Amino acid sequence: MTALGTIDSTNLNGGQKLAVKYFSVAAILFGAQIAFGLLAGLQYLIPDFLYGVLDFSINRMVHINAMVVWMLFGFIGSVYWLLEDESGIPVVGLKLGNLVFWIFTLAVAVVVAVYLLVQVGPGEQSTIWLITEGREYIEAPRWADIGIVVCLLVFFFNAAATFSKGKWTGIGGVLVLDLIALFGIYMAGMFYTTNISVDQYWWWWVIHLWVEATWEVLVGGLMAYGLMTVLGARRKIVETWLYIEVALMFGSGILGLGHHYFWIGTPEYWLTIGGFFSALEPVPLVAMVVHAVFDSGVKHMRSINHPAMGWLIAHAFGNFFGAGVWGFMHTLPQINLFTHGTQWSASHGHLAFFGAYATINIAFFYIALQKWRGNVWMSGGLIGGWKWKWSMVLLNLGMVGMTMGLLVAGYEQSQIERAIEGSSWAGYFAAQSHPWFQQGMFWRMIFGGMFAAGYALLILDLVTIGRRETRPALRPSAGG
Amino acid sequence: MITDIWWASGTFWRKTAIWVTAGSFVVLVFLTLDSMSQITAGTKRVPAYSAINHRIEYRFDEKRHVQAPVIGAEEPLFGRKLTEQEAEALVGKGKLTMQAKNCMSCHTLLGNGAYYAPDLTKAWLDPFWGSREVREELMVEFIKDPSDKVHNSLGRRMPKLGVTDEEAHAIVAFLKWMSSIDTNGFPYNFKPLDQGN
Amino acid sequence: MIEPVKMADFFATFFSAAAVILFGALYALLFAYSRIRNVPRLMPLAYAAYAVLFASVILLATVANLFGSLFWMSVVMLMLAGYLAAPHAVWHLCVHTHAAAHNDGSDGHQPSTLLDGSAAETFQRPCKEKTS
Repeated sequence: MTALGTIDSTNLNGGQKLAVKYFSVAAILFGAQIAFGLLAGLQYLIPDFLYGVLDFSINRMVHINAMVVWMLFGFIGSVYWLLEDESGIPVVGLKLGNLVFWIFTLAVAVVVAVYLLVQVGPGEQSTIWLITEGREYIEAPRWADIGIVVCLLVFFFNAAATFSKGKWTGIGGVLVLDLIALFGIYMAGMFYTTNISVDQYWWWWVIHLWVEATWEVLVGGLMAYGLMTVLGARRKIVETWLYIEVALMFGSGILGLGHHYFWIGTPEYWLTIGGFFSALEPVPLVAMVVHAVFDSGVKHMRSINHPAMGWLIAHAFGNFFGAGVWGFMHTLPQINLFTHGTQWSASHGHLAFFGAYATINIAFFYIALQKWRGNVWMSGGLIGGWKWKWSMVLLNLGMVGMTMGLLVAGYEQSQIERAIEGSSWAGYFAAQSHPWFQQGMFWRMIFGGMFAAGYALLILDLVTIGRRETRPALRPSAGG
Repeated sequence: MITDIWWASGTFWRKTAIWVTAGSFVVLVFLTLDSMSQITAGTKRVPAYSAINHRIEYRFDEKRHVQAPVIGAEEPLFGRKLTEQEAEALVGKGKLTMQAKNCMSCHTLLGNGAYYAPDLTKAWLDPFWGSREVREELMVEFIKDPSDKVHNSLGRRMPKLGVTDEEAHAIVAFLKWMSSIDTNGFPYNFKPLDQGN
Repeated sequence: MIEPVKMADFFATFFSAAAVILFGALYALLFAYSRIRNVPRLMPLAYAAYAVLFASVILLATVANLFGSLFWMSVVMLMLAGYLAAPHAVWHLCVHTHAAAHNDGSDGHQPSTLLDGSAAETFQRPCKEKTS
């Protein structure tokens, strides 16, 4: 047994050792996402910057792909993290899981290297298979698609087999069922078609049903575990509420897919379906608000891990504003006609992805580090506690600032480019050169820098938190 | 004493979650089957690829209260009338090239993609090309090498992506075909280039 | 079919839509807080938040031309009724899910590594729940 406060893998169980590997890669890819986001953002202000070397299209592609993959790595890591705790037995097929981790990571590195070095290919099927598929978010070439499905299958096997052999918990059941959907839906995007309406129809199956359905539920499961771990919330209540959230989220989210089918050639009835389910979307959020207040009133909870708790709270707020407020502002077809495909979407996307997913992954990083350092103290009066607080402030403020900059740009775009100029190219460039747009982009860049600083501090904190700490962790208070 | 009420039990909500999920999914599958039948190429909403043999217009539909594409008089692309198979092959090549060059990472297509460059849904009809007579060749030349063709005050330029002459023609075919898709009035208030009578 | 928003109404649309969500949450928050802490004088404020939500929905429905069709009108009605009822329903759900767990008496499985077998604290029931 090593001293408290030292990073030591003997503090972790098998699944958790694998989890911290996934977390490490996730944290690095998070950095790549920010770096390429900064490059792409700068190109809005200085169009000749890296022109012909690393064009906007490449930077933007790496920016969003790094995001998808780091979040996925974070989720996978989080599930491995809780797997043995939940099932009560060592992970079944851990060796295979470890092997797949290295294959997955290597594949990601190869894909990114090809993105950066080869960039584009001729208009042949070979390009789709080897270089890029050229479809937003799922640009990864087909060989990598197949690889991702295989990796997710092994991951699914690890989870399902472990729960089957050990014991099924509510969280375990929800997670495993959700994983089936996770790789099943990904396959909906793995074919080529000339018909762009059909293409985008299935493409949204992947993007929307991943992001707004299966990821949300996955996060719901992780959040449930997080609350039990950090606050000692009661399993029975947490699991009942997990089911309630799943019912609400899938109930509004699956057919909420309709709000992506307004303008891609699909029938008019999607306008009504999309509008109707958009109006339902905030229901899970209202439920969460009431439940959170109720919970805080019925028990006196002490958090054993302040940074993780802080990020779980940031998750609740981020989800509410990013998905709830920002989503609803432009989701009704009557207004979406003007905002679809403008910086509005970028504004919503930034806040929602960060709020709903980046936050929960960061919370898990902290949960992991606490145990990795031998279950060290992470409550009040933490040595060097300013670091996690300031990184949290910088990251959140940076994100809010970026979102606001993009919002102003998008608002101007929806009026000048869309409503007045009717989306002609001349109208597009008139809107792009408008002072509101330019200033919005400028401030986006400033706050992007703030966000990057927050990231640097976050990494520093993750490496050092709890290092000279000699107090053991608080025990979570039990409660409702 | 508050007793254990059925609608507050974990079991009830677990079943509800399963039924709601399964139910929504089944509805989605049926809607998908119906949508697929309505957006297959060659239907009213998504015309056949041979639409590129005709003029594509974008007119206000009084009944539906939106602008909608109208397939007009015969006006073959590059002056060559194609069979349905030839048209599909050409449009298909164009779509494939647009993916291979990652057009969607700067442009939007049907409003989806990135926001660094203009939407391409109605690129074929954009007034930027000036007139019907020069449009096709201008488009081909632009796509092959846009790097020296400054067209905005921002200094933003499309890079030269190594598009061959054949690929550029195919892309134009794809763009022409895409402009014929009925997108429920998106983009709103768009005024197409004057294509004469 | 839909009737697109007029450009002059863009701001009102975004603003009222945001207000719907924000005041929906504020109403839920005040409602739950007032009940859990037994502060009845906060309840009028909760309903005041709902009143703002109501006005926001009406404004949104007006500028987004939702009153033009039966379908969209019914969506508006559903939102008004749904937002009013949701916090009440969720509250009942909270009370009963927590009561069920309490009666069950079990603490459930906790991550063993963190708990070291600590005993559950006594469940403190909110004082107002019997009247709710």
